[in-house]
Amino acid sequence: MLSCIKEENIERVVVAACSPEFTEHIFREVLEKSGLNGHLLSMANIREQCSWAHEGDVTVKVVELVKMAVNRVRLLLPVEERELPVNRKVLVVGGGFSAINAALQLSRVGLRTTLLEKEAVLGDGPGKLESFYGFDPSSMISAVEGDRNIEVLTSAQMTTVEGKIGDFNVRIRKGEEEIFLKYGAIVLATGYQTELALDSGMEFSQNIVSQEQFCSMLRNPCLETKPKSIGFMLDFSDENSRFPTLATLYNALEAKRKWGSEVYVFYKSVKVDSAGMENLYQEARDCGVVFLKSETSPRITADNGRVKIEAKDVFLGEDITLTCDVLVAEEMYLPAEGTEKLSSLLNTRRDSRGFYQDENVHLYPVGSEKKGIFFIGGCRGDLDLGRVLTDISSVVINVHELLSSGKTVVDVEIVKADPQKCVACLTCIRVCPHGAIQLVRADNSKEVAGISDLACYACGICAAICPAKAIRFKGYGDDEILAQIEAVGESLNGRNVAFCCEHSAYPAADLAGRLRLHYPENIRVIRVPCAGQVDVFHILKAFEKGAAAVLVMGCEDGACHHITGNTRAKERVKYCNMLLKEVKVDGRLVAMFNLSPNAPHKFIRAVNEIAKISKESGR
Amino acid sequence: MIIAERKPMEEIKQLIAPYKKVLVAGCGTCVTVCWAGGEKEVAMLASQLRLARSGEGNEIVALEATVERQCEREMVAEIKDKVAEVEAVLSLACGSGVQTMAEMFEDKPVFPAVNTTFIGMPEKEGLWVEMCGACGDCFLDRTGGVCPIVRCAKGLLNGPCGGTRKGGKCEIDPDKDCAWVLIYRRLEKQGRLDVMRKYYAPKNYRAVKRPGKVQASKA
Repeated sequence: MLSCIKEENIERVVVAACSPEFTEHIFREVLEKSGLNGHLLSMANIREQCSWAHEGDVTVKVVELVKMAVNRVRLLLPVEERELPVNRKVLVVGGGFSAINAALQLSRVGLRTTLLEKEAVLGDGPGKLESFYGFDPSSMISAVEGDRNIEVLTSAQMTTVEGKIGDFNVRIRKGEEEIFLKYGAIVLATGYQTELALDSGMEFSQNIVSQEQFCSMLRNPCLETKPKSIGFMLDFSDENSRFPTLATLYNALEAKRKWGSEVYVFYKSVKVDSAGMENLYQEARDCGVVFLKSETSPRITADNGRVKIEAKDVFLGEDITLTCDVLVAEEMYLPAEGTEKLSSLLNTRRDSRGFYQDENVHLYPVGSEKKGIFFIGGCRGDLDLGRVLTDISSVVINVHELLSSGKTVVDVEIVKADPQKCVACLTCIRVCPHGAIQLVRADNSKEVAGISDLACYACGICAAICPAKAIRFKGYGDDEILAQIEAVGESLNGRNVAFCCEHSAYPAADLAGRLRLHYPENIRVIRVPCAGQVDVFHILKAFEKGAAAVLVMGCEDGACHHITGNTRAKERVKYCNMLLKEVKVDGRLVAMFNLSPNAPHKFIRAVNEIAKISKESGR
Repeated sequence: MIIAERKPMEEIKQLIAPYKKVLVAGCGTCVTVCWAGGEKEVAMLASQLRLARSGEGNEIVALEATVERQCEREMVAEIKDKVAEVEAVLSLACGSGVQTMAEMFEDKPVFPAVNTTFIGMPEKEGLWVEMCGACGDCFLDRTGGVCPIVRCAKGLLNGPCGGTRKGGKCEIDPDKDCAWVLIYRRLEKQGRLDVMRKYYAPKNYRAVKRPGKVQASKA
């Protein structure tokens, strides 16, 4: 190929062979080596999605697939690479275990860090359980103080954040003072807070205490009267009880050992899914801690200076009543105060319980939808220490990779808003899941949408929603998409077009081919970077050009690589159903399917289903 | 900004039923921003029309063009060659754009494909709300910058009415804020609640002389 490109003066290349999934980058390298821009390549997947996927003669389809690739390659534009500087400093927000450890480890790999804590001193958070694991907060704090790579700002809060990965501009308020600092990445480690789950009739008193208060009772050498009987409540009000379970088991054991008290744990479920928890539970049982399972929250009343607990025991099938000297109330694990404010400052999504980090599998463990912003530890949910340590390692690896060299290489202007066409409607800025777009002044004149090459993931969601068709997406623009539809041309009649997300449906189709699972031959796949990139007018155009039916296929719910791409695609398909009905075309002929890349059967089911619908509607 | 929304498809189809070749003309300003008549909407409508007519066995040629502002003669003139090719124009601009187009090409029927609905602002992506009724006699100085003429369901100048719901919502539509509650809160913040004690006589809507005309004094 290399010599052929040189000798024949070839300007663009179509490879008609295997799937681009694993080979596109290799062919791109060949182009680069021969002096061509690697992006002037289009691949016709005639193996996985053609010869391996269908029985009999597939020549007609092969010809069409090659035509599609040829039509597309003619329109491709070169993409330049550029080296951009990135700031090597990291801002770690928080002053607890996760924050301090992350700062120490980042320093160890040579990155300068600022620890930003809203309280007056470090280590003042609710991280009391850390001592269980043998960590000593004071030694951690003195390590921070002795580290010249770490700057500590206490009694200080972030007030604004602008910019993007490699270049965040942060305004910090410390008392009356305002400080402006620049960072390459931001790590949030703001922890959690707990709240006692008390019924309205219950009052917080000497007999009803929190885990923290119980801990200090345990540690108090001059405690007047040691409680003879203790009750714990667990997992009734908050199912996310991994951390409270640990506290309960640990404290129950301590009470048993130290005081020899009778200890009863009333629980709905004991969650022992972290390292060492099963052993701790077993140990507690062996030491004589009594576990009583109840489906409903026990009734708790005051009883002559003691606490009466009435519950229905699931295993005995009987009501039981116990009177204890002390009741340790159930603790709910909640997002720390200020979580909502900080996440709106950073413009990042939170999960359904209000913790940082959207519930999207591609963000786990520590990522956010925005490059360069990370969440670690308790601020992203109910984590045990093992998981917190994994978070810290992950964030150090991620940040080191992004910032350590002080520069990064990016593809320039893959997605770009044409300043002439952009009407500054702000739509793209509002919908970009990665926060990569801001208003900028083009050539110091009018304000237009400016897409940051550093922060952009090239998903194309902005291009699909731009009402002015101002966003040009190299490789997947309107022209390249329509050229593929046009290529099939007249013979598109009776064919179904499938827009397949390159993260899910496209590899699923490849897998179907590799497994030699056969499906109807009349499907023509157009590869897109995200289902959210598929524009309503692309779909209408496909029908106009004769497509029998159109499929849009993206990732499973909650698993879109671009967070909102698949849900937007679903909405657009629904809109398309309506637009088609308006013009007396069966609305069912455009359908959305969600699937994962390892679901070839689901891909085939979708292809068969749409084939059936298109047959039913006589197309 | 002027907000518009597309007319029902049946209505649009009837407007152009007699023609075989039309121009779908968009406008690159307000209606682009409110997703009603920019280049994307032009492409979608043109596509829909072709599909509708080919389904009826009565093919139509739908050309597409979008000018920066259809309410400017000079800008509309840029597409005169395309207009010359067609029998009728379907304009996706606001009423003002449609009229400019109609005036520029008097020999061609120019039809509106959108309904111009109000002057408003985006509340979030894809949702616009009415803010101004263009009454010609602005009242906002007395109402803390909240217009009761369009944002109060009853257009009261001396509100609120007796029907304000708990939580400051409107009795007509519990999803909408009561404009007069908003006005009260705003004036309270500014320490200007005395403004609300004053009675305002019914507004003289005759202040708006039709057709309206505004002459900038420096021009």
